[in-house]
Amino acid sequence: MVESKHQWKAWLYLAPAIVLLLVFTVWPIINTVRLAFLEDYNALAATWGQTFKVGIGNFVKVVSYSNFTTCLRNTLLLTVLTVPISTLLALLIAVALNSIKPLQRFLQTIFFLPYVTNSIAIGMVFAAMFNIIGLRPSGLEADSWGIINNVIKFFGGDPINWINAQSSYAANMAVMTVYIVWNALPFKILVLLGGLQGINKQYYEAARVDGTPRRRVFTRITVPLLSPMLAYVIITGFIGGFKEYTSIVGIFGEKMGPVGAPYRLNTMVGYIYQVLPETNYGVASAAALILFAIILVVTLINMQVSKKRVHF
Amino acid sequence: MKKKFVSILLIACMLLGVVALTGCQKGSGTGVLAGNFEIPEGGYDGSEVTITFYHTMGSNLSDVLNLYIEEFNKLYPNIHINHEQVGGYDDVRDQIKTELTVGNQPNIAYCYPDHVALYNIARAVVTLDNLIASDIEITRADGTKEILGLTDEQVADFIEGYYNEGKQFGDGLMYTMPMSKSTEVLYYNKTFFEANNLEVPKTWDEMEALCAKILTIDPDCIPLGYDSENNWFITMTEQYGNEYTTASGDNHFLFDNDGNKAFVKEFREWYQKGYVTTQEIYGAYTSGLFVADTGTRSYMSIGSSAGATHQRPTKTSDGYPFEVGIATIPQVDPSKPKVISQGPSLCIFKDANPQEVVASWLFVKFLTTNVDFQAEFSMASGYVPVLKSVSENPAYADFLNKADGGDYISALSAKICLEQESAYYTSPAFNGSSTARDQVGLLMQSAFTTDDGGNLDAMIDQLFKNAIDECNR
Amino acid sequence: MSKQDSNTMHAQDLRRVSVQQRIVKGVVLGGVYLFLIVMALIVLFPFYWMIISSLKSLEEYRLNIPTFWPKVIVWSNYAEAFTQANLGRLFLNTAYVGIVSTFLSLIITVLSAFAFARLEFKGKNLMFAALLATMMIPGELFTITNYATINQLGWMKTYTVLIVPFLVSVFYIYLLRQNFMQIPNELYLAAKVDGTSDLKYLWKVMVPLALPTLISITILKMMGAWNSYVWPRLVANDDAHRLITNGLRNAFTATTGDVNYPVQMAAVAIVSAPLFLVFIFLRKYIMKGVSRSGIKG
Repeated sequence: MVESKHQWKAWLYLAPAIVLLLVFTVWPIINTVRLAFLEDYNALAATWGQTFKVGIGNFVKVVSYSNFTTCLRNTLLLTVLTVPISTLLALLIAVALNSIKPLQRFLQTIFFLPYVTNSIAIGMVFAAMFNIIGLRPSGLEADSWGIINNVIKFFGGDPINWINAQSSYAANMAVMTVYIVWNALPFKILVLLGGLQGINKQYYEAARVDGTPRRRVFTRITVPLLSPMLAYVIITGFIGGFKEYTSIVGIFGEKMGPVGAPYRLNTMVGYIYQVLPETNYGVASAAALILFAIILVVTLINMQVSKKRVHF
Repeated sequence: MKKKFVSILLIACMLLGVVALTGCQKGSGTGVLAGNFEIPEGGYDGSEVTITFYHTMGSNLSDVLNLYIEEFNKLYPNIHINHEQVGGYDDVRDQIKTELTVGNQPNIAYCYPDHVALYNIARAVVTLDNLIASDIEITRADGTKEILGLTDEQVADFIEGYYNEGKQFGDGLMYTMPMSKSTEVLYYNKTFFEANNLEVPKTWDEMEALCAKILTIDPDCIPLGYDSENNWFITMTEQYGNEYTTASGDNHFLFDNDGNKAFVKEFREWYQKGYVTTQEIYGAYTSGLFVADTGTRSYMSIGSSAGATHQRPTKTSDGYPFEVGIATIPQVDPSKPKVISQGPSLCIFKDANPQEVVASWLFVKFLTTNVDFQAEFSMASGYVPVLKSVSENPAYADFLNKADGGDYISALSAKICLEQESAYYTSPAFNGSSTARDQVGLLMQSAFTTDDGGNLDAMIDQLFKNAIDECNR
Repeated sequence: MSKQDSNTMHAQDLRRVSVQQRIVKGVVLGGVYLFLIVMALIVLFPFYWMIISSLKSLEEYRLNIPTFWPKVIVWSNYAEAFTQANLGRLFLNTAYVGIVSTFLSLIITVLSAFAFARLEFKGKNLMFAALLATMMIPGELFTITNYATINQLGWMKTYTVLIVPFLVSVFYIYLLRQNFMQIPNELYLAAKVDGTSDLKYLWKVMVPLALPTLISITILKMMGAWNSYVWPRLVANDDAHRLITNGLRNAFTATTGDVNYPVQMAAVAIVSAPLFLVFIFLRKYIMKGVSRSGIKG
C-alpha cells in the first residue's frame, strides 16, 4: 500500500526536524548520561586527552555538596508553597469569572496580563516594590522604605526587611512566593476557566432544581468535573516549580540571594548553571540527571494520585 | 501506543547505558603536551607569522600599542601582530576558555594568575624558562643583534615582586611576564582632613580611632569605603602572616583559622558601628560615596591605584570641590607593609608552529623590557611600569613631578605605588584559586551583614566552614 | 413547558421566596465582583507601579512616603533608559533573532506536521511517539551538551547559536499535526487526482486552513525570543549579540554610582511595551496557544 517513493518523500519532509533534533536533543540526552558517569569530566582537560574514570563520582559529589540540600530545600519549599496557593486562587478566580456576565471578558484579559511579561523584567519591578533604599546597619533607619513597607506601616504594622542585606530567609521566601504565584496565576486561570466553560450547564440546572446549596454544588459538581484540568495545572505547576530559576534571578540577581547571603535561594537549576561555566561538565550533567529523576518521580506520583481522584 | 512507548524508553535506557560504559575512550590526544617549551634550533628563523593578541585596552591605550608595534616591526617585519580588545579581564578569560576547547586560542593574552591556572587545566600555556635562559643570537632587520632570552641586566631591571608573579603556580616554572601593575591605595579627602586636623592612618588601629572621630564630626557619613571585599580579606591574611591558600598539595584552602576569624569579627564590628561599607554592600563602587556632593558621603576610600580619576570629584568652575590625598593602605605592622599586586601580565599559548611561539616571545619581551613603551603606556593607563629604569625616563620623571590631588591625580597614585614597590605580595594561583577569592569576599559580606543570633563565634565559624565547602565543591 | 406551568401555578408562593433569593443573589454577586476587582487590582499593581516610578525624578522616588502619582513627570527617564541600557541595539538583536527563528521554525514545523498528518511511511507512529517522549525531558539536560556542541562548531557569540538549536519544537509539530488531521482527507485525495503536488497542496490548502494555529505558534515563538534569558546569557553575552532580557538585567548592575531606579523602571516599561501591544491585538491567538501548552515562551 505504501509506495517506496512516498517513503523517502516523507523522510525528506521530516529531514530538517530530524537532523536538528538529533544534534540538539537526542545527542545531548546521550551525552549527558555519558558525561555524568565520567568522573570529574572537564572539557578543558579533555583537550589534551586526559581520560576519565567511569563511575558514580559525579553523583556523589553533587549529593555530598554541602549546599545541595539548600538547593533542594529551596526548590521543594517554593514548589510546595506556590503550587497549592496559586491553584486555589486561580480556581476561585476562575469560578468567580465564570459566574458573571458583564465585565467577564475585560477581567479575564486583566488576569491574563502577567503571562505576557518578561519574568526578569517584572522581577525587577517586584524587587523595587520590596526594596529599601539606604537601610542603615542598625536596620531601624532608611532613606525610603519602599511601597510595600509603607502599606504595612499604613495599616499599623512594622516595616520588614524583605530583600536587602540582613533580611531573613522567611522574608525572602515570602517575596518569592508572592512573585511566583503572581506569575503562575494567568495560565492556571485560563485553563480552569476553559474547563469551567466546557462543563455542561445541565448539571447546574439539575442542582438548582434540587435546591442544592452553592458550596455543595462547588464541591460535588464543579471540582469533580474540573478535575482533569486541575490535575493538568497541578502537574505542570510541579514541573515548573522544580525548574524555578529565572524568577529568583529577576528579584535577587545572579547571586541568588540578598547581599551578605549569596546563593541562599539557589535552586537545582541554579546549581547546574553555577557549575556549567567552570567546564565541570561531568558534575553539571550528574546534577541535571538528578533533577530529571526527581521531576519524573514527582510527576509519576502526581499521575498516580490523579488517576484515583480525577473523574474523566 | 502505551506498550510502544514503554519499549522505546527501555531501548533508550539500554543505549544510554552502553554509551556511558564505553564513554571513557574519548580524548584523541591531539592536544599539546605538558612540560617546558623546546626552542627550535636557531630560534626565530625570520618566517612570516601572524600573532593574535587579546587584551582589554581601550582606544587610547591601543593607540600607544600601535605606535610600538610599528617600532617592533622595524626590527621584525615578518611578525604581524593582530591585536583585539575582547572586553574586560573576565571576557578575555571566558573567550579563551571557550576557544581552548576547540583549539583556536590566541597566541598572547592579557592574564591574571587565576586565568593562567584555568588555562593550565588544558596545559595550554607555554612555560618561559627555556626562552628566558636561551642565548641564541638573532639578527634583526636593522642589522643589530639580540639574544633570544633575557640578559641578566634585563632580569634585574624588573621590579622583583612583579617578575616573580610569573612563578607562583606551584611548580616553580615561569608562566607569565608582567605587563603593567597596580595596587590598592587609600584615597582621602585632604581638604576635610586638614580642616579638622586629622592624621592619615598608618595602622588599622589608627583607622578605627579615626573613623570614630570622623563620625563625631559628620554623623551622617560612612567614614571609609573599601571597594573589594576579597582583596581586603586576602591582604589582611598577608599582613597578619596568616594562612590563606597554597598551590601545592591536595588541600589548597587553608584560610579557615582563628587569626582570620579574629579580623573578620573586628571588621564586622566596624561595619555594625557604621565605620565602613564595601562595594557589594553599598551596591556600587565606593568611589561614588567618596566623590558624592549630596546625601551620604565618605571621607576615605580604598580602591585600585589605576582608578585614581574615579576618586576625584567633578571639577566645577571653582576648581575641584576638594583635594584628594593618596597614601599606603593601613597596615598591621607599618615596618613590614603588605599591599596586593594587581594588573595584567602576559602569557603565551602553545601552538603547533614553534615559530609562532618564538615570535610571540619576541613581542612579549619587547613590550615588557622596552623602557619607552613602559613609560608611555603607564602614563596613558594610570598603571605603574614594571621596570625600575622607567623612573629615569625623562618624560615619566616629568609626569611624576606634576603629581597633585587634582588634574594629575594619576601621577600622584603612580608615585605612591612606586614608593611601596617592596611591599607587593601575590597569592598562589591554582585551579580553584579564583573560587577561593570569590568565597572569601562573600564571606566578608556575610560576616558583616548576617544577624549573629546571639552567638557571634558560631556564626563566624559557620561562614568559614561554608566558604571552605564552596571551594571544595 | 412543564417548567412554565409550575411557575404560574405556584407564582404567588414563589414571589416571596424569590425576593429573598434575589437579595441573597445580589449580595453574592456583589461579593464576587468585589473579590474579582480586588484581585485584578493586585494583579495590575506592579504594572501601575512600574509606570509611575518610571516617570518620577530620583529625588521623588526616594521620598520616605512614596507618592502615588508623580509630582513632576520626567519623560527624560525614557530617553536615558534607552541610551543607558543600549536598548536600541538590544531591540534590533532580539527582533532579528525572533523573526529569523520564527520564520525557519514555521517552515520546519509545517513540513514535519504535514508528514505526520498526511503521508504514510514506515515507523511513523513509533517516530511520533519518540518525539513526544522527548517533551518530558527538562531543557536543562540539553544545555550542557549543546553548550559543548556549539563550542565545537565555533558558534559562540553568533546569531546562529541563538537561532538554530531551538528551531524544532515538538510541541508545535504536535499542535499543527492535530490541526492538519482535522482537514478532511478527501481534499487531499482530490488534489492528488488533479495532479497537484504535495507541496502545492500544503501551501494552497492546508496552510490557509491552519492559519490560526500558525499565528499562535508565531506569537509564542516571538515571545520566546523576547523572554529568553538563560541560553543567550550562556552563549552570546557580548555587546554585538546580547538579547533584550539579558541586557536589561545587566545594564543596571555593573554601573558606578547609585542605581537610578526610575530610569531602570523606564527600561523595564520599554521592554514590556511590545509584549503588551502584541497581547492587546492578538489576545485570542495567544490564549488559544497557551491553554494547550503549559509552557511559557
